[in-house]
Amino acid sequence: MRRFFLAVLFFVLVTAGLSLSQEAYAEVPTFTVGWSVYAGWNPYFYMQKSGILKKWADKYGIVIKVQRFDYAASLDSFVAKNIDACTMTNMEALDMPAAAGVDSTALIVGDYSNGNDAVLVRNGLTFDRLSSQRIMLVQKTVSEYLLERAMVINGQQAQLPKLRLINTSDSDIVPAFMNNASNTTVVTWKPLVSQILADKSVHSIFDSSKIPGEILDLLVVRSEVLNRPDGSGVKFAKAITGAWYETIQNLTGSGATQMQALKISASASGDSVDSYREQLKTTYLFAKPKDAADFATGPLLKQKMELVRQFCFKHGLLGKDIKSVDDVAIAYPDGSVQGRKDRVRLRFNPTYMQAAQQGKL
Amino acid sequence: MATFSPFDIQARPNRIFAQMLSCVLFAVCIGLYIQTSVKRHHENSEDRVVPNARQLMSGIHSSVLEPAEESDYIAPDNASKWELFRHSMIWTDTVASGRRFLISLVLLVPAVLLALHIGLFPYFGAGFLRFVLFFDKIVALSLLPILFIVFGIDEWSKIALIVIGVAPTMILDVTQMVKAVPREQIVKAFTLDANDFDVAYRVIFRQVLPQVINSLRLNLKPMMLFLFAGEMIASSDGLAYRIAIMRRHMGMDVILPYVLWVAFLLFFIDLALRVLNRRMHPWFQS
Repeated sequence: MRRFFLAVLFFVLVTAGLSLSQEAYAEVPTFTVGWSVYAGWNPYFYMQKSGILKKWADKYGIVIKVQRFDYAASLDSFVAKNIDACTMTNMEALDMPAAAGVDSTALIVGDYSNGNDAVLVRNGLTFDRLSSQRIMLVQKTVSEYLLERAMVINGQQAQLPKLRLINTSDSDIVPAFMNNASNTTVVTWKPLVSQILADKSVHSIFDSSKIPGEILDLLVVRSEVLNRPDGSGVKFAKAITGAWYETIQNLTGSGATQMQALKISASASGDSVDSYREQLKTTYLFAKPKDAADFATGPLLKQKMELVRQFCFKHGLLGKDIKSVDDVAIAYPDGSVQGRKDRVRLRFNPTYMQAAQQGKL
Repeated sequence: MATFSPFDIQARPNRIFAQMLSCVLFAVCIGLYIQTSVKRHHENSEDRVVPNARQLMSGIHSSVLEPAEESDYIAPDNASKWELFRHSMIWTDTVASGRRFLISLVLLVPAVLLALHIGLFPYFGAGFLRFVLFFDKIVALSLLPILFIVFGIDEWSKIALIVIGVAPTMILDVTQMVKAVPREQIVKAFTLDANDFDVAYRVIFRQVLPQVINSLRLNLKPMMLFLFAGEMIASSDGLAYRIAIMRRHMGMDVILPYVLWVAFLLFFIDLALRVLNRRMHPWFQS
């Protein structure tokens, strides 16, 4: 009896082994893209639902999966190398993967926040009186960056160290702020901003449209994936870029296709089409690949990134071990590098946006 | 040397051997950690997800001897280690969290006394028991928006979250203990001319107190969980606040020492309660 069992076990193992090795043989390169809810990233949901993504992946003979995450979790997965590409802002691209030594490449410059992030106050408070107030925000994110930029632009730089920040989770920041009139200041992003502005005693005193191009939303891929020797990484880059610009074309187009694109993108975050349209109004989409490629190759990007990297370094976001801001260097399309040349961790690569512009995908 | 016989109930393992055996799983965990860390650092020498010993040491150093970023404290040149420690990240965070924890511990005392009354006095039982049974099943975290309205976003909403989360369970637990005391004792006490409060506080309460302390020991971890949840949602100091901030940039070199520190603190409180229990109630056999 025992021998019989052993024989069966052996048989099962062998067949399992065979089928596994066969699978490995026929395996097509598979890539996973993580995205999270945000006006500029919701189109990834539409891209997948509409079949645009599959069309482009098939064209290049690969498989691309997209997966929705919470923002923080998507970054964790990207740094832990569980996913190949991920949507993130330029600030997190610098302080999460790049600062953790994961060489990353920004493939697509999708949009910048053009009013999506805002500093909101109650009862006509002004910047010179902010230092005595409690300020609710998610600390060490673009919200804090926005607040600092707002203070600097309004000539209150000296007050910066005196600000009393309350780290508040974005999932609870709306009720926590609105339910108590003694909370006077909050920094957050849309659609939360719109929810808070429903209270008529609250208004915005600064938003990201005053710092255009500083809060960028990117699609970032691990450089090692992009540079895979078998060329599958390049195929992936081409496929996802092609799919992205077709998606955006539909989204910014007209007629039934646009309506469909808007509807599905809005449903990605459970928003109504109207609310999603309102969010898009304050999101500067680089709708044409040319716009994105021009921005990525232009001089403006370097100036903006300089501000961002100094902020990250000043707040220790690059890590305890990083003693100089130059230790997490950024490489630009023209070959110039911000920081030490031997420590390039974040690269802006316009190749695929340019290919899309020339219709070569 | 006894033979190794894990399925022998009557086995008497050699003492040194038993000691060694109890360390095996710790060693395995540490080994796995080191292996993962070495592997990840081999691929990426700056990996932050699984920090190596050097990164951990610098993380511990900065959390124990450097002030938090938002702290106004600037160390004088000749500051002693103690002086530095008193203004360090970990110390200020521990004080902030510890205060919330202790206040909620104190607030559990009336809950225990209420439970004594519920278990012993029929009118209290009628008035409270069903409500507490119901309230116990409410997921406290989902009440947060309401807590924010009532208590604001400062200390009290966090403390309230802990108390609301833990008190109903403790009340039910203690009520059961009170009910488990044999009825004959109460009758006997009355025949010896005890009044109602003598019975409640001098007969029943004294008897269940060691069990109450044990129940509290089991509830330490839920208390810490609720404290962490509250601090992660809205705060400007505290142990969980720091962990939440460090997570923004994968500061595992600081998070891991913090996690171990919290584990140590809980272990220490638990140990203190156990020793106290044994001192106060040498007659108690659980």
